[in-house]
Amino acid sequence: MLEIFTVDGPRAYPPRVTAFTRTFWDALSDGQFRTTRCDACHGYTFPPKPFCPHCWSRSVSWAELSGRGRLYSATRVHAAPAAFRADAPYRVGIVDLEEGPRIAVRIWDHDAIALDAPVQIVALRYEDGPLFAARRLGVPG
Amino acid sequence: MGRTVTIVGTAALPVGKWQSPPDAQEQTLEHEILAKLVLDAVEDAGVERTDIGTLSLAQCRPYTLQKYFATFMAHHLRLPCAGSVAEILGNGMTAGLAFEHAANDILLGRSKVALALGVNFETATSAADHMMSSMRAVGDVDFQGPFGITPIAWYAMDAARYIHEHGSSREELASVAVKNRAHAALNPLAQFRKPITLDDVLAQPMIVEPLGLYEVPPRSDGAVCLVLAEEDVARSLGRPYVRVRSRGFFHEGAHQISEVPNDMTAFVSAQAAGRAAYEAAGITPGDIDVAELYAPCTIVEVLVSEALGLVPRGLGARCAAQGETRLGGRIPICTSGGLQSRGHPAYVTPFYSFVEIADQLRGRAGERQVANAELAMTSAELGNYNAALVHIMEAVR
Repeated sequence: MLEIFTVDGPRAYPPRVTAFTRTFWDALSDGQFRTTRCDACHGYTFPPKPFCPHCWSRSVSWAELSGRGRLYSATRVHAAPAAFRADAPYRVGIVDLEEGPRIAVRIWDHDAIALDAPVQIVALRYEDGPLFAARRLGVPG
Repeated sequence: MGRTVTIVGTAALPVGKWQSPPDAQEQTLEHEILAKLVLDAVEDAGVERTDIGTLSLAQCRPYTLQKYFATFMAHHLRLPCAGSVAEILGNGMTAGLAFEHAANDILLGRSKVALALGVNFETATSAADHMMSSMRAVGDVDFQGPFGITPIAWYAMDAARYIHEHGSSREELASVAVKNRAHAALNPLAQFRKPITLDDVLAQPMIVEPLGLYEVPPRSDGAVCLVLAEEDVARSLGRPYVRVRSRGFFHEGAHQISEVPNDMTAFVSAQAAGRAAYEAAGITPGDIDVAELYAPCTIVEVLVSEALGLVPRGLGARCAAQGETRLGGRIPICTSGGLQSRGHPAYVTPFYSFVEIADQLRGRAGERQVANAELAMTSAELGNYNAALVHIMEAVR
């Protein structure tokens, strides 16, 4: 289970949900982090896809992710797109999850996190739906 | 095939802010600017108007009201074409691909002379609004867009990782901006020409950490027309010209990042495209006299110059800080002033690189002239150099 944080207001730029990706977003709302994994080559995919981009098999399954990983890189955005003006400055980063996949995230931490430091994915519950973010591992909520 | 492509003429608008606000009483319009450049470039080349068979346009920004701009220009110029008339799009690589489309018509024997041209007007739209569009071009709209990752945020993450892994520093990276401004001071086409110091660069407000205002590209308008010709035509003109010696292209099959971790700052596509271009030309990186690289931020210039073998891996920023990539240095890079100082009208930026290289190889670069420049390199890219297009050019005098 991911830690869940309740956030006031709607998401600045909400994702579009499809019949397929609804499984991901609904699980995230409940504090679960999952993606697809190929039944043939066992490769993970992120974002989740109904086929495997590594071997083009159409046979994939949902797999749970621990949400633990390491911060590969990060920046703080000061000059923001119009929809994110109220958030600026904000931090974004790239996380290598312990199961292997590399993902991009919002960083849920006011202070900079050292590169290669352990981080955990958290679920953010906005009024209109969920997003995910990364924060320092082991920091109490 | 036995055909060889050359550049025989160029004309460019000084990079700057040209686009009128929508409510301006009198407007500066894209087709008027571009038509003048076509006439200038054709005059510079000395080719016959009737020999032109191809109009290869870099697509305009969505802010340009005139649609179907390529066919509109064929009409505006009353230019019948037996090769092709097309608009090309491919993010920051747009003008590189438009150049290739024109070159391919010559290689296929469809045109003896081809125009590669375009106009990028965008500055009447604010940066905050423009980024609402550009962030959708540099990441997954649904799985990355919601975090507010801007185009240059990806490059900033390159910078953070590079400093972390290679023991470099913000100061070393910032020295690239100082070097490029010194070059731009000598370039009449550059947007920012007042020399700056390292302290000036470090004193600027942060845009995406660790990159400040002078280490990222400005918002820019620009327009260029290049005249390409089959080498028989170029020879007949009796003027210096530029021979396209080779090209290399690679797309790594990923955009920004994929779920498969790699060395993000290695720019593997630039490595592969560079290798292909060097092999096809039968040369090595040490043979290059001057390079005009597509590098929106200081860090990008460092990483692509490393990936192309012009400087050693992990030492690109240090080489820049020590003056190796400056005019008069071992391998001058971005003698035009680069994207930070020459400016970055993105859809035509690679055209400006070809203009600079044509000036260098035709001996017309004035105070920026690299002495005895014989071989030059250009690059164009999209994403975080997920795709790279590299050309090697040769002077024929």
